[in-house]
Amino acid sequence: MTTTVHDRDTRARRGQRPRRGGGPPTVPTWRRKLRPYLLSVPALLITVGILYPFVLGAYYAFLNYAAVRPNPVFVGLDNFKTVLSDPIFWTSVRVTAIYALVATAVETVLGVGIALLLNRSSLIGKVFERVLILPLMIAPVIAGVIWRLMFNPQFGILNHVLGLGSTFNWLSTKTALWSVILVDIWIFTPFVAILVLAGIRSLPKEPFEASDVDGASWFYQFRRLMLPMMWPYILVAVIFRFMDSLKIFDHVFVLTAGGPGTTTRTLQIGAYEDSIINLNYSIGSTYMFLLWALVFLTARYLVSVLGKAQKRAAGSET
Amino acid sequence: MATLETHGLTTSYGKTRGIEDVTLDIGDGEFFVILGPSGAGKTTTLKSVAGLVDVDSGEVAIGGVSMTGVEPYHRNVAMAFESYALYPQKTVSQNLASPLRSGRTGRYSEEDQKRRIELVTTTLGINHLLKRFPRELSNGQRQRVALGRVLVRPADVYLLDEPLSHLDAKLRAAMRAELKQLGEMSSTTSLYVTHDYQEALALGDRIAVLREGRLVQVGTPEEIWHRPVDTFVAKALGQPEINLVDAVVDHGVLRTQGDALEVPLAGDLDLTPGDHARIGIRPRDIELSRGAEPLADHLRVRATVQLSERLGREIELTVDAGGVSIVAVTPGAHVFDEGQSVELDIPLDHVHVFAAPDGDDPEADTTRLGSAIVEHVSATSGRQQP
Amino acid sequence: MATELMPGQKRFTAGTILADVAIVGWFVFSLFPIVWMVLLSLKTSADQTSTYFAFSPTLENFGTVLSAKGEALTSVNFSHALITSVINCGAAVIVSLVIGIPAAYAAGRWKYRGSNDLMFTILSFRFAPELMVIVPLFVIYNQIGLFDTKVGLIWVLQLVTMPLVVWILRSYFEDMPAELEQAALLDGYTRRRAFVMVALPLVRPGIAAAALLAFIFAWNNYVFPLILTGSDNSTVTVAISKYLGGGGQAYYNLTAAAAIIGALPPLILALTIQRYLVRGLSFGAVKS
Repeated sequence: MTTTVHDRDTRARRGQRPRRGGGPPTVPTWRRKLRPYLLSVPALLITVGILYPFVLGAYYAFLNYAAVRPNPVFVGLDNFKTVLSDPIFWTSVRVTAIYALVATAVETVLGVGIALLLNRSSLIGKVFERVLILPLMIAPVIAGVIWRLMFNPQFGILNHVLGLGSTFNWLSTKTALWSVILVDIWIFTPFVAILVLAGIRSLPKEPFEASDVDGASWFYQFRRLMLPMMWPYILVAVIFRFMDSLKIFDHVFVLTAGGPGTTTRTLQIGAYEDSIINLNYSIGSTYMFLLWALVFLTARYLVSVLGKAQKRAAGSET
Repeated sequence: MATLETHGLTTSYGKTRGIEDVTLDIGDGEFFVILGPSGAGKTTTLKSVAGLVDVDSGEVAIGGVSMTGVEPYHRNVAMAFESYALYPQKTVSQNLASPLRSGRTGRYSEEDQKRRIELVTTTLGINHLLKRFPRELSNGQRQRVALGRVLVRPADVYLLDEPLSHLDAKLRAAMRAELKQLGEMSSTTSLYVTHDYQEALALGDRIAVLREGRLVQVGTPEEIWHRPVDTFVAKALGQPEINLVDAVVDHGVLRTQGDALEVPLAGDLDLTPGDHARIGIRPRDIELSRGAEPLADHLRVRATVQLSERLGREIELTVDAGGVSIVAVTPGAHVFDEGQSVELDIPLDHVHVFAAPDGDDPEADTTRLGSAIVEHVSATSGRQQP
Repeated sequence: MATELMPGQKRFTAGTILADVAIVGWFVFSLFPIVWMVLLSLKTSADQTSTYFAFSPTLENFGTVLSAKGEALTSVNFSHALITSVINCGAAVIVSLVIGIPAAYAAGRWKYRGSNDLMFTILSFRFAPELMVIVPLFVIYNQIGLFDTKVGLIWVLQLVTMPLVVWILRSYFEDMPAELEQAALLDGYTRRRAFVMVALPLVRPGIAAAALLAFIFAWNNYVFPLILTGSDNSTVTVAISKYLGGGGQAYYNLTAAAAIIGALPPLILALTIQRYLVRGLSFGAVKS
């Protein structure tokens, strides 16, 4: 090889020689360090802008603000005393708790089951995977509308197809809560299934191949290998579902508006009644303050559990 | 073309130290190699020169001009990354055109660009790949494209980060030869980083050995090989590793366990009787005895064979000399049996003497005191080949 | 061609047949309501309460719902709500992208001090009970005249869109190798040009996924428009819920038609980004 890669001409033609009497342009260190912060300023502004009403909302809980009292005064913990001694509040807590626990539990079991089934299935599974997401993408309120029509005792399809006659009321005082939970399951089980399925698919193959060679049964493999490695994904789904169901509103509102009576009056629906219907802003804010505290504590607990599970899952891979 | 100097470069990442007090003085057009194990700070050094990494203290100067506060795109520096860093959405030809289009490496018309890309890719043997995308290329081809992106534009300094480390052994050897020719061709100041001592010895005009962020030794390949500053440097070069044997000063001689080696002490070593030391002998410096009497200025060692491995035209012998294992590599095709006695001759000027480690850590590295024969340090300039 | 098995998969056996049966069971449950909705939307008013599965289909319900005639019948201006939804959600997503991409880039590429705090604060918006912010906003909006306006809703929708955009994109930026931008810098490009030339194309799928997912969730949102808008700017979700309310004759078939129209855009968008769905839904926590 005798070609030279650079000749003198191109070097001279560079056209970017440092200026005589000065070097190349410099940028002070502080400006460089400032860049990430500058990029984040708009987001920070919006965040603060959104936090402001939150803080204000929390503040309302300590006032006696209502439409009938447009000039509120500070009342300390009075609202909390009122709300915490109101049996209807505790009914709401009970309703919300039952809702969140049952819905999350059922969705988790079903979702994991569906994920495992789709994983083992042949052609049919591939086809159905594409439509798994459908109920999740429909607005919950629209899902509520659909099911409300289905629940209609006379004209709804359910009573007809299930042979329950034309008087079985899906939204009676006895059945409303369970029907509402059923709709939640319909909408959100795919969420768990999709997440867990993606998790299963991302698991390393070697441990399973090794245990196949060792002659382990499917159940053994599931319990000892798959489940520990799947925990982080299952937990992520559980966290999302549980926290979301604590503040459930959309489809419940459209199905029952919290009724009949208070059988489906979740905490957010209760807050809605107080704030928007009764225009008692402060009481509603108190509801929300308590709910938010509940959500916050739950979140911290669940996230720490997730952290531990992730560590265990990583450890079990070696 | 420019000189490259760094003064006391120190970086840190969070709480961990990156490199510490790295000072280099690289001449115009010099091909300078930094040798060190992974994590030593080689890439950090390169990126500090390029301006891609924030420096806690210290300064980089290119062509005598300080680069403090100068952005990478103003430094006139080209770098080939270990990960190749080829733009995935661009073809090979577009990847190579990228530096030419930015405007900061010169003004090039479309024709100029095409001509340069043709030239570089022909030289590197990849001109049939111009329309391919990086994901369609093998590692070797990607490496050449990364190199091409460096060579296609003029620069004051070339920075090469382990360009051969992801290639298989055969390809690596072939590319080493090509790089040598390219290096002589371009005469641009180059800073080359590797963990492979063979690349360092073959390519470098001078070598700097880096360990845990600090420079251990800087010198020509000859200096580093024959006069390593400590056992770390001595062990870093050479495969199999240099033999290190503990010894004690006794009656003017360094005696090893079982009296297997008796190294006469040269006068300049400053050791008193009873002192401990370490003897270092490179496996390839050991020869099989030919005559009944040892040659002048040679050390004769009697040992028994523990292991004998044929390596093509060489044999790797692991022998037991007085209870100490020594590895030797000699040309030849003999077959040795386990337990067989052998006699080995070692030239005294290739016997290194190192300080003994402290009681605490027998594995610690120690400085080199000298060789068995008083060294005549020849005046080697930085550029001559060993 | 033998396909490689995933962990836990077995070849075609009795187990897989049982699995298939169970899956079919779930999908009957899952798809039946949707199928029934479609059927209902195709029924004439006469058929809607009298028949179940056998009827002669008609498409006129869709037309009715979107026209003034529908409004006359049900006092719901559906087509106006549809347009409002498109404008609100589109604008909300654009705002989130413009503000969120730089922030996600800064947080993903350099983990500067405070980036985690900002990120988690934004994430907390997703889990916060909506009414907590709606009550004060209801008061404030009425005071400053943002009640029942597009701007007011676009602002509130940031609660829904920004966490998605920021977290999904941060996950993509974290995965992006920094050396590509560094190579561009050494080629002679400024950081801004390097970002546009190298970083943006790499995260383009993430931007698409985040934008579409954010649009879907903004579109499906109910509680904000319910409370913070009136009749001028109500959205599709509110409009559909109004079909059920009130006395008078129930127009089940029109309701079904409206529901389908309202559910269609998210469904179509979801099918477009199916590949990136999992990463988006889990806010970047799960990468498929």
